[in-house]
Amino acid sequence: MTTQAAAIRGTVTTRVPAADLERVTADLAQAPGTRLADMFASDGATTVLRLVWARESGYLVTETEIEGGQYPALSDIAPAAFVEECEIYEQFGIRPATGKPLNRLMLPPHAGPDFPRLGHAPAQPPQEVHAPHTVGGQAFEFPFGPVRQVGVESLYYGLVTSGEEVVDVYLFTWHKHRGVEWRLRGTTPREAMFFAERAEGLSAVAVGWAFAAAAEAALGVAPPPAADRTRAVALELERLYNHAAATAALCQATGLTVGQSAAEIALEQLLRVNAAAFGHRYLFGVIEPGGTRRAPDVAVLRRGLPAAYGELRRAADALLRTNSFVDRLEACGILTAEHARRLGLVGPVARATGLAVDARRDGPYAAHPVTVVTGDGGDVFSRFQVMLGEAAESVRLIGEFLDAGTAAEHIALPEKGNGEPGAGSGLGWAESSRGEALAWVALDEDGRITRARLRPGSVRNWRGFDDACRSQNVFTDIPIIEASFWLTAAGLAR
Amino acid sequence: MPLWFARGLRRGVVTTRYPARPDDSAAWLPTPPAFRSRRLTRDLVDRMVAACPGTALSRRDDTLVFDVGACTSCGRCAEAAPEAVASSGEFELAATSRSVLIKEIPIRGDEP
Amino acid sequence: MTPSLDEAEAARRLRDTIAAQFGRSLHIRTLDTGSCAVCEQEIRLLSAPHYDLHRLGFFFTPAPRHADLLLVTGPMVRAFDVAARKTYEAMPGPKVVVATGACALGGVYPKDPFVHGDVGQVLPVDVWIPGCPPSPLALLHGLGVAVGRLAEKTPGLTFIADGGQG
Repeated sequence: MTTQAAAIRGTVTTRVPAADLERVTADLAQAPGTRLADMFASDGATTVLRLVWARESGYLVTETEIEGGQYPALSDIAPAAFVEECEIYEQFGIRPATGKPLNRLMLPPHAGPDFPRLGHAPAQPPQEVHAPHTVGGQAFEFPFGPVRQVGVESLYYGLVTSGEEVVDVYLFTWHKHRGVEWRLRGTTPREAMFFAERAEGLSAVAVGWAFAAAAEAALGVAPPPAADRTRAVALELERLYNHAAATAALCQATGLTVGQSAAEIALEQLLRVNAAAFGHRYLFGVIEPGGTRRAPDVAVLRRGLPAAYGELRRAADALLRTNSFVDRLEACGILTAEHARRLGLVGPVARATGLAVDARRDGPYAAHPVTVVTGDGGDVFSRFQVMLGEAAESVRLIGEFLDAGTAAEHIALPEKGNGEPGAGSGLGWAESSRGEALAWVALDEDGRITRARLRPGSVRNWRGFDDACRSQNVFTDIPIIEASFWLTAAGLAR
Repeated sequence: MPLWFARGLRRGVVTTRYPARPDDSAAWLPTPPAFRSRRLTRDLVDRMVAACPGTALSRRDDTLVFDVGACTSCGRCAEAAPEAVASSGEFELAATSRSVLIKEIPIRGDEP
Repeated sequence: MTPSLDEAEAARRLRDTIAAQFGRSLHIRTLDTGSCAVCEQEIRLLSAPHYDLHRLGFFFTPAPRHADLLLVTGPMVRAFDVAARKTYEAMPGPKVVVATGACALGGVYPKDPFVHGDVGQVLPVDVWIPGCPPSPLALLHGLGVAVGRLAEKTPGLTFIADGGQG
């Protein structure tokens, strides 16, 4: 394997010839402490396939030029890659060599050869296979969605059941595919930021930070440390409100209305703290490539956060003493550490199985280490406990970052005529409330995006949802499991 | 359950009186801009239009056309022209016709 | 641009009809046509203790058959428009469509092969609520306007800050 290692911000990028790809992937998939974090393609003079691996020492990106429209069946080696293989086939027309069926995933049924894609349409359209495993025995399917309960996103489930038990569940998210990656082409990082934040609005800070960091890596620049700490404050506030919202959703799913109300009081107070401290309830508009546009109002944050968090803590304490609630969560939606490893799961879903995966290791977190909260049950209750532990840790971290100093400042990005950006590419990451969010950006000589890859945490974890629903659960468990994952359809569909 | 009942009573009522009475929390909400007509020049307006990431701002001769419906209150126009932009403070923006959300602001800064 | 006399008269008659029909009890069905998920979170908070839409006679219903008002978010992704029309057509008249959020009003995504760009391209919208996202207070105001219980403010706002109306 020829290595041209370009180490930027802890990321190593390596060219891997197509002939070596299978062996290299197998080696990496088996290496301890190594996880497949993403896989995506880009079209230019050739089609390039990139795999992003998370290791103890940082990220490794392998780049392989694909010819002849085929590459080795990587999902046989790393099952985590199956969803990406489907997406890559729809968008770029290249496929794994084994010829196994690939599902239609991102694009709607009417997407013919002329439908806009990031690359080329496949020679043969993808199939309507529902899941990468077979369902046997007596079962019937019924469709649910995309229009579902009130106040939740549009999402289609195919539920396969033999009566009450969940035999299988598969998802279609193409109803919400807005073509964000397609739309970012030709824009500058600053222009693209507005859309990157809105790819998964409930992770606006995380996805926005991952995107901004990718653009900064591509340009070879880094934000000032105080701005980086501002980003971290916003990220931890985002984690807090999401965990409060997930708590409310868990109560709603279990029919505990008083608990839901208590969690919603906490959620509303947290959102008001966000608005008072950063000018937006959902923290939009804080981050921009090069740094931050806003800094927190420190006095307001120090005054408001303890009360809001206290509200969440008291609601959680009452919930943990409510047996009818806890009974409903225990042994529900179990995932094992083996599932999490095999499928490349991230966030509280992975940590609740015992895997200590967390992207908060560098940047501002290097000087303020995070105590990673893990569980061991892998069930809904474990995930709930992990979220509560993380919320406490977030409050502590915010205090530390405020003590160390925050600022609204950004460096000027190198612009044509103003510096020499050159063409470049870079990887960015941030730990959203639902798991590691990644972004990869390639810029041309004018500093405009030729390829933007956005991979919110939801993209990884929806992959584990059907496994979690299948482990001896019934229909009424599905909303509970969904609340404990707390993903979004927007983040998967983009 | 008695635990929750007692808790609820102790917590008290947090419900807003809005719309019967104003709600203080509205003071923290981001709101669309209001423009200082006499400070607007064609040049400044063109810079604001370029800064707007959506379709809320455009210029027609000496008029700034502001589509409140398209505005996300992101603040980029205010960053591009701080002397010409204030916060409107308005969050009650619902309208029964789309055209009522399109406002025209005269560009007076170029006047002698 | 002020509405024409015909438009203003039609709007007034619509409001009076709705106010008479819906009185103080309104059932709301939500519809996500491709949002980023934040608008939905604000809508969910309408039934939370701080806002409690029930005290105003507003209720959520999952069944379009029982709904009076369709609260729509998102830029109308083309792949969703059949589901959008089916939901709208399943609602018996009289019914009101409220487009909420900058995406639904056409401010975020331009019309392109993926999205229509605004909800009005596919559904007949009666009330528009700006914001990104519209906060629960803004939503309550919009719902009040939709049933004719609250006055609209935007016709009288100029967004000019030279010492006149803000």
